[in-house]
Amino acid sequence: MRPKQKIASVAHLRKVCFLNTEIGKTKVASYVLRRIFIGFLQAAGITLVVFFVIRSLPADPVARLVGFNSTPDVYNQAKASLGLDRTIWVQLGDFVGTDGSGVITGDLGKSWVTGSSVTSGVATTLPITLQLVLLSFVVAIAIAVPIGVATAKRPGGKLDKSVFGYGLFAGAQPEFWWALMFIFFFYFQLGIAPAPLGMLDPLMVAPDKITGFILIDSLLTGRVDAFFNALWHLWLPIMTLAFILSGPIIKMTRQSMARVLSSEFILYSRASGLSRKQIARSTLRASLPPILTLTGILFGFMLGGAVLIEQVFSLNGLGSYSIRAVLNLDYPAIQGTVLIITIISLIVYLILDLVLVFIDPRVKAQ
Amino acid sequence: MAKKSVKESAVFKKALWYHDRLLLAGVIIVSLALFLSVFGFMIAPYDPGTPVGPISQAPSSQHWFGTDSSGLDVFSRVITAPRIDVVLSVSAALLSGLFGTLIGLGTGFYEGRFSSLVMRISDVLQAFPIFILAMVLVALTGRNLVNLIFALTFLYTPIFVRLTRTEVLTQKTRTYVEAARATGNSEWRIALKHVLPNSLTPSLIQLSVTVGFGILLTAGLSFIGAGVRPPTPEWGLMIATSAPRLILGEWWSSLFPGIAVSLTVFGFAALGNALERRVGSA
Repeated sequence: MRPKQKIASVAHLRKVCFLNTEIGKTKVASYVLRRIFIGFLQAAGITLVVFFVIRSLPADPVARLVGFNSTPDVYNQAKASLGLDRTIWVQLGDFVGTDGSGVITGDLGKSWVTGSSVTSGVATTLPITLQLVLLSFVVAIAIAVPIGVATAKRPGGKLDKSVFGYGLFAGAQPEFWWALMFIFFFYFQLGIAPAPLGMLDPLMVAPDKITGFILIDSLLTGRVDAFFNALWHLWLPIMTLAFILSGPIIKMTRQSMARVLSSEFILYSRASGLSRKQIARSTLRASLPPILTLTGILFGFMLGGAVLIEQVFSLNGLGSYSIRAVLNLDYPAIQGTVLIITIISLIVYLILDLVLVFIDPRVKAQ
Repeated sequence: MAKKSVKESAVFKKALWYHDRLLLAGVIIVSLALFLSVFGFMIAPYDPGTPVGPISQAPSSQHWFGTDSSGLDVFSRVITAPRIDVVLSVSAALLSGLFGTLIGLGTGFYEGRFSSLVMRISDVLQAFPIFILAMVLVALTGRNLVNLIFALTFLYTPIFVRLTRTEVLTQKTRTYVEAARATGNSEWRIALKHVLPNSLTPSLIQLSVTVGFGILLTAGLSFIGAGVRPPTPEWGLMIATSAPRLILGEWWSSLFPGIAVSLTVFGFAALGNALERRVGSA
């Protein structure tokens, strides 16, 4: 598909890019600014969509709060206290922050059910989810990429065939059910995993909160016992997510590696007598972009998709927070979680695209 | 031409399935799932909604998959559940396929301000956390089957819009379109009779995959209490209600519905994958 000239001149392109570092830098900077601007618009768009969609659906959060048999007086009082008696535009202004505190100042409002600040609710639950998802990705990539590389070396081999089946299988599986089965097997039968009841043993005192990431906090405060206890509680959820995630990553690694291995520039490097190591390195580097892109998409998906795993293991993360928000019709909390998850996904996409620029000089040249 | 007719003969197809085990597995699982979603409740040995025996019984010759904590027969429930899970996902996939393809055809064929607006909207929809959006849609519209189908359709339509649009954009520059226009066909006729049939393949493959994901989403929603209501025989709900019993050693009431979800989703994914490779190599 690609023009031959381009493939043969990767080294040349690299040289050009190297010579034009200054141009490259300003280009990258303007690209980042543009992306941040677009991301800002997207987040604003999503905020608006969520705001209007949940208000246009036939649900009655007031009745949910005061009960369906309440007197009209009580009902109207509750409605007024939630601010729902005002016009939708006033409500929107209040949410965005025209009166001085709102989304633009980082204030996501107050939960209708608990009365506590949504910002602090998200701030305490988000690190738990991020920690789980990030570690699962580290484990999944550490397992999946080497396997994918190995299968790409011998396409059609026995390993390749069985790994292909696994990749297809694990790509779409009910992770909550696998989590339950793993708990049954590893905790109930073998006893080599803790009961799925949170981040720490019930009697363990949590380390002082600094970052909110329990693994980091326990190290910062010198609580080695809490660190290992948290790891002990995390290994099964991490393995469950990694089991699901590694499927698509293996598939993509294999595909991408195989394509690069059969490309002309690898043939050219071989013909030029480069060492196996050098060839392997440039192959892996050239096959990284699609793998990273997929990882980014999976990451965005997993921030919301970890909901079920958090629920099974009673980890009180953002997923569990959003379930409570949705089932209680707690509109400020729903808006807050969706907004935060979207922003994080957008940031991840941006970081990945920047990494791609540095891996693949052709992207910068465009 | 002669070669092609051989390719399409039944004998060759048989051989094809024999050689492509993935396709075979996909076809078997998908047909079984479709069969059970129509006839499952007829061949179920017990009523899936009424208690039929002692509670929490291990699998036996009477109750193949045991009974759950309310005394319901797990086997009967597992084989009647496709009536919810599969029918729901298939209808959502077909509806989103229909809407997505038509919108994709429209926006691809007539490029302009309106079509780029539609694309931006579908971009925004795709940036949403899908599971949470599904939860919101179902919880706020009311937990029933029609609303579940509506929510899934809404979530999956953008995929089909994108797939069809991309294909339409390449197809409409082909010479056959020009020829159709030169012979005096109306634009509508060109779009519907010529471009559309040639742009359908990616969406048709995606249909199978979408059904699989729909089943996962349905089961997941029921699992957290935002899907169908108990005691509807539905796989996710069955797993949810039996999950607490797992710690007591009652594995059968959550194992079997889980295997059903796992296999069904795999079947649809395998069928989609096999079709994709077949089309790609053809």
